[in-house]
Amino acid sequence: MTVLQAILIAFVYYLANSPWPFGGLGNYAILYRPMVCGLVVGIILGDPVQGTIIGATINLMYIGFISAGGSMPADMSLAGILGTALAITGGIETEAALAIAVPLGLLGAIVWVGRLTLDTAFVPLAEKYADEGKPEKVWIVNILLPQLLLFVMTFIPCFLAAYFGGAYIQDAINALGGTVLRILGIIGGMLPAVGIGMTLLAIFKGEARIFFFLGFLLATYFGISILPLSLIFLCITVIYMQLKGKVGGSYSG
Amino acid sequence: MDNKDKVQKEGTLLKKKDLRSAWLKWMYYFQSCYNYERMQGIGFLHAMTPIIKRLYKDDPEGRKEAMKRHTQFFNTENALGSAVIGLTAAMEEQKKKGADLDNNAFSSIKTGLMGPLAGVGDPLWQGVVIPLLLVFFLGLAIEGNVIAPILYSAIFYVLYYGVGYWLLNLGYYKGSETILDLMESGAINKVITGAGILGNAVIGGLVANYVSLSTAIQIKQAEGQVFVLQTELFDKIMPGVLPLALTLLCYWLLKKGVSSLKVILVIVAVGIIGGLTGIL
Repeated sequence: MTVLQAILIAFVYYLANSPWPFGGLGNYAILYRPMVCGLVVGIILGDPVQGTIIGATINLMYIGFISAGGSMPADMSLAGILGTALAITGGIETEAALAIAVPLGLLGAIVWVGRLTLDTAFVPLAEKYADEGKPEKVWIVNILLPQLLLFVMTFIPCFLAAYFGGAYIQDAINALGGTVLRILGIIGGMLPAVGIGMTLLAIFKGEARIFFFLGFLLATYFGISILPLSLIFLCITVIYMQLKGKVGGSYSG
Repeated sequence: MDNKDKVQKEGTLLKKKDLRSAWLKWMYYFQSCYNYERMQGIGFLHAMTPIIKRLYKDDPEGRKEAMKRHTQFFNTENALGSAVIGLTAAMEEQKKKGADLDNNAFSSIKTGLMGPLAGVGDPLWQGVVIPLLLVFFLGLAIEGNVIAPILYSAIFYVLYYGVGYWLLNLGYYKGSETILDLMESGAINKVITGAGILGNAVIGGLVANYVSLSTAIQIKQAEGQVFVLQTELFDKIMPGVLPLALTLLCYWLLKKGVSSLKVILVIVAVGIIGGLTGIL
């Protein structure tokens, strides 16, 4: 990895956590997701296809990820960005990349907590501008200062990890040998079950539960991939809701 | 006074571009200075600045008051929170026109709406829309389709800004009761039920396609033959039975209140032990 590539990758990590370019939650739903930042890192490293594959694999872990009320259990953008960067430079299998990325995501959660703590220091300045009645200055306290802080908090660690990690990852992988890589692969294959379990926690409820098994059975016996499966079930869902409306209409009460 | 009456008849002190500028500031910078003390309070103040600048152009005292009342604690969901921006802008406009609205009126509307909006918005986007779009496009992306992440991003962006803009106008023109009614209406529940069904089915397919776990156990039989448990039993009865069992186990543990970190550690331990012993 060149210095320029490491700089660009670190800048992507800053952007994923900043308001730019898609807006607050927009960025969080787009560039913050490993599938998307994996593609961007892949472009920077000259292999967009591999970046997309690795990013999407890492993203399996974070499908049903819910951050509500200001809590953030893991930083999936760090997992996606560094995981993809290290996997491409180290030539690691995608499933092993997932096993490496998940602890990075847990580490990245520190940035979130640190940011919400440190940004508190800017509140008095906002109050000062309010007391003075200067709306034209609010951008300083809402954008300039907290974003500078965020830049320092995200760019520097990610640059160091990408540049030095990228330089040594190949040697480290060679030194680890086949058994370790095989185990990382096994772990990476199982990890999506945790992400899917978290999603199920939110949606595996009531009448919808049987459809989980139906989707599983269709996919496992007939080898139907996700896209056709989604379209088939879109129709089934509409039929189900229509029938339900009718049954509910005649038997309700 | 004549001048004021004239404005009142026309009904608007704010220009469309003020409202749009406030909304875009909200959509982009609502969480730019996210902090434990005020949460999105500073972001809300920033969003209100175009409104405040317009209404209190020649009124320094009014400007200070308005800025102070919008620096308070605020926390909600981004896109649905657009409704509060529209509504607060409308209230500020009414106040300037002489309506009897004190600081309490503003803070009770803002705090009264932020809870229900986050209560619908967080699960709606993060629990339904994003996971559904993700599972839909992840399958393509894992096969190496670089258009998939781009399509995912574009669809989400349009949906999210579309809903936000619609709610901004609803808040500005219709007011708080319309918004609360909408959040509690049957239509939203129907969408969530339908999305839940579709989501379950696709997640089931995801387990079969992307969770991989197989056993390497082989049993030596008499005449030198080897019985390979995975290919000769599991694959014949139900190929994805181990991934399914693992997923349901993870779900069960999480439901029991075991933290996701601990579940991950269990998987790491199982992987190491299974890999070393040759079971997996």
